[in-house]
Amino acid sequence: MDHFLLLVWHALLVATFFAFLWRSDPHGRKVMFVKSFLILVLGAVVVGWLMFPFP
Amino acid sequence: MTPSKALRDDGRSRPGAEDRPPPVAKPLLFVAWLVPGLGHWLLGKRLRALVFAAVILAAFTTGILLDGELAVPQQNSPLTWFFTFGCLGNGALYLIRLLWANGIDGLFSSAFPYGLSGGGDPVAAGFFYGKAFLYTSGLMNLLVVLDVHDIARGDKS
Repeated sequence: MDHFLLLVWHALLVATFFAFLWRSDPHGRKVMFVKSFLILVLGAVVVGWLMFPFP
Repeated sequence: MTPSKALRDDGRSRPGAEDRPPPVAKPLLFVAWLVPGLGHWLLGKRLRALVFAAVILAAFTTGILLDGELAVPQQNSPLTWFFTFGCLGNGALYLIRLLWANGIDGLFSSAFPYGLSGGGDPVAAGFFYGKAFLYTSGLMNLLVVLDVHDIARGDKS
């Protein structure tokens, strides 16, 4: 089981959901999807790296 | 402003009555909760309905396939009620999964609502990931119900 793939799949679903919940025009949805998807994936990777020093 | 709404039976005006939005039909909110996407479909928001239904169903199915466990209330553990509320957001999916995991007899045992099984396999590699997907789908559907409420009230298009 690839953990990163699951993370990306989860981010994809959540980003799609909020893009359609919070935006009503196609362009706004695209922007919202890309932003939230990148924040979710990159944010998780960054937080994961920051947690390395902790036991 | 319609006089029938703004005036009471005795003819005096009712403060703020004209500003009050019409109440939202409770059956609409119920079906929105029970079947993800159906509330938007009934309101004519077909694309949003299909996307919400697909996303919530995909998240729920992923959670089940990863052997995740749905939250169920446990005795002497009040926080489990919060988790259960979140998972209950899945609507019919939650009820079907509980029925699947417990059977009819287990579902309506004398200890109800305690002693239920949320399904899943705690030693499976994807157990906690599965739980995350199941909780996420439940919370997303609760947000969908709130969205249906806002659209039906006219606060959102």
